[in-house]
Amino acid sequence: MASVVFQDVVKKFGTFTAVSDLNLEVRDKEFLVLLGPSGCGKTTTMRMVAGLEEVTAGEIFIGGDRVNDVLPKYRDVAMVFQSYALYPHLSVADNIGYPLKIRKVPQDKQRQMVMEVARRVELDGLLDRLPKQLSGGQRQRVALARAIIRTPKVFLMDEPLSNLDAKLRVQMRAELKHLQHELQVTTIYVTHDQIEAMTLAHRVAVMNKGVIEQLGTPRQIYNDPRTLFVAGFIGSPPMNLIDGEVKDGVFTSLGGVRVDGLGSANAASAVLGVRPEDIHVLPAGSEKTNVMAPIYSVELTGESTLVTLRAGAALLTVRADKNFVGDFDQMVEIGFAPGRVFLFDRQSQDRVDF
Amino acid sequence: MAHRRKSIGIQRIAAYATIAVALVVTLFPVYWIAANSFKYDIDIFSIPPQWIPANPTSKHYHAAFVERPFLIYALNSLIIAVSTTLVSVVFGSLAGYALARFQYPGRWRYQISFWILSTRMMPPIVTIIPLYIAFNHLGMLNTKPAVIIAYTAFNLPFATWMMKSYFQDLPVELEEAAMVDGDTRWGAFLHVALPLARPGLAATAIFCLIISWNEFLLALILTLTERSQTLPIGIAGRVTQYNTYWGEISAAGFTACIPIMIFAFVVQKHLVRGISFGAVKG
Repeated sequence: MASVVFQDVVKKFGTFTAVSDLNLEVRDKEFLVLLGPSGCGKTTTMRMVAGLEEVTAGEIFIGGDRVNDVLPKYRDVAMVFQSYALYPHLSVADNIGYPLKIRKVPQDKQRQMVMEVARRVELDGLLDRLPKQLSGGQRQRVALARAIIRTPKVFLMDEPLSNLDAKLRVQMRAELKHLQHELQVTTIYVTHDQIEAMTLAHRVAVMNKGVIEQLGTPRQIYNDPRTLFVAGFIGSPPMNLIDGEVKDGVFTSLGGVRVDGLGSANAASAVLGVRPEDIHVLPAGSEKTNVMAPIYSVELTGESTLVTLRAGAALLTVRADKNFVGDFDQMVEIGFAPGRVFLFDRQSQDRVDF
Repeated sequence: MAHRRKSIGIQRIAAYATIAVALVVTLFPVYWIAANSFKYDIDIFSIPPQWIPANPTSKHYHAAFVERPFLIYALNSLIIAVSTTLVSVVFGSLAGYALARFQYPGRWRYQISFWILSTRMMPPIVTIIPLYIAFNHLGMLNTKPAVIIAYTAFNLPFATWMMKSYFQDLPVELEEAAMVDGDTRWGAFLHVALPLARPGLAATAIFCLIISWNEFLLALILTLTERSQTLPIGIAGRVTQYNTYWGEISAAGFTACIPIMIFAFVVQKHLVRGISFGAVKG
C-alpha cells in the first residue's frame, strides 16, 4: 500500500532521452495506466520504478521513501512481464513460490500460500507442470500468481495481456480489474492498447516521446483531449482530424467541411477533431449539414455501421445506425454534434479553446 | 512421382555412404590402437595385417600399468584436466555472464571481449619460453599446479566466450523477474541464469576437459618426472632411442580414450538445447 511519486525524472540512454522531466503521482491503491505508442517511454518509466533501470536525474519515491539507489529486491514491488518471464526450469508451484523461497518463508507456509494463490487464479491442478506445458493464458496466470503471492507495495504490469488472443484478453482484463479492486494494491500498468487503458484505469497518463501529454480519468481523456496526439490516440475508430483554417470562428477545409460557431477562434493552420459517434447522417438538404461527401466504404460492425466518406484528401469516419444502407460513391450529408467538436493548433498541437 | 521417390532414395544412399566413410576414417585408428594393444609385438607388424588379434594378450597393459608408471601418468592427467576444467568453467561462467549482462561505457564490452579472445591468437609455442622461465623462478617447474595454471590460461578465453554466448541467448527478463521477486544479481545468476545455461556449461566442460587431457606441448616443457607428467608425455616417452614400444603405446593410448568417452556420454544429455523454451512468449 503505497503511493509512487516521480519528481522531475529524466532517463537517458546515451544521447537518446527516453523520459524527460516526468512529474507524476500515482496515488495509494490507484490503478494508473501508462498509455502510449511503442518507444514513448512508458516501459522505461515502469522499469525505473522496479529498479531495473537507473534514473538519470530526478527522484522516485515509493510510499514516501526515495528509492533511486535502492536495489529491486528492497523496493517491495511485483512485476508482471510482457513475456511473463516464467522460470522455465521450475514447476508452476516453484515459479509461484519463488518470491517466498527467496524470502526464506518456512516450507509448509510456502506450500499453503502457493495453494491459496493458485486456487485464486484457477491454476490448482497444474502445479506440477513446467511452463512449457502450459497454454498462453495459463502462463499469464502463473505470472500473475507470482506477483500476488506476497502483497507488495506496488504492482507493475508491462503489457501483460498483449500475448493473449483477443477473447482471452477481454476475459483476463476483467479478472485483472477485479483482482486489483480486491487486493487494493497500487498498480502501474503499461499498455499501448487504448481499450485496455480505458477499461482498467482509474487514471490514464498518455505518454508520447518521453512526455506525459495528458493525465486524467478515462472519461476526461476521451471527452476532453488536451492535445492533438491524445485526440488521435484514444478512441476506436480514432477521432476524425481534418486540416483546415479558422477565421472568426468558422472552420473550412479544402475538402468542403464547414463548421461555424467556434467562438472567435482564428488560425491559419488548424485541425478540427470530431469523434465518429458525434457525426450524424442527415437527410438531404438539411441546414445542419457540415459536409456532403461520397461514400468511400461501409463496414457493419454489428452494433453500428462505420461509414467512411471522402472529403477532399481527408477520410471521415461516421458511426451510423446499424441499419444504415449506402453504396460506394453515394453522396451523403453529415452534421457534427454541436459542442462535440475540438479545435487544435497545427503548430503547437495544443487544443484551442473557444 | 516415381521419379521423385527415386531421387530421394539416391540422396539417402549418398548420405549414408558419406556417413559410413566418415565413420571408418575416424573410428578405424581407434580400432587399430585397440587391436594392437592386445597383440604380440610380432603380430603388430605382420603382413598381411592382422585385423583381429589372433592370440590376444594383456602383456602390454601389464607392461604399461604395472611395470611402468602409466597409472600415475593417468592420475596426473586426471587431476590436471579436472582442475583445469573446474577453474575454467567457474571463472568462464562468471566472466561470460559479466560480459553478457553488465553495462559498459562506449564499446568497452566489445573491447574487453576481443582482448580476452586475442590472448589465444598467438600459437601456444611462443609462450613456452616465458612460461618456463616464470615457473622456474617460482620454483614450480615439474609441478601439477604449474600445468593447471598454464592450461587454465589457455582454456579460460574460450570458456568465457562460450559462456558469454550462452548467457546472451537467455532472455534477460528472467533474471530481472528474479531480482524484482527479491533476488540479488548474484542470486539471479545462481538460481536462474546458471541452471538455464546448463547446456553451455556441459559443452564448455567437455571442451576444456578434452583440450587439457590431450595437451602435449606445454606439458612436455613444464614437466620432468612422473611427479607431474601426463599420459600424452608418458606415451610419447615410449618412443625411445633404441625402440618404439607400439604395444605399450597402444595400450596406454586406448586406455586414455576411455575416460573422455565416458564423460562425454554422461554429459551429453545436458547438451540438449531448448530448455528455455516456454519461458517467454505465449
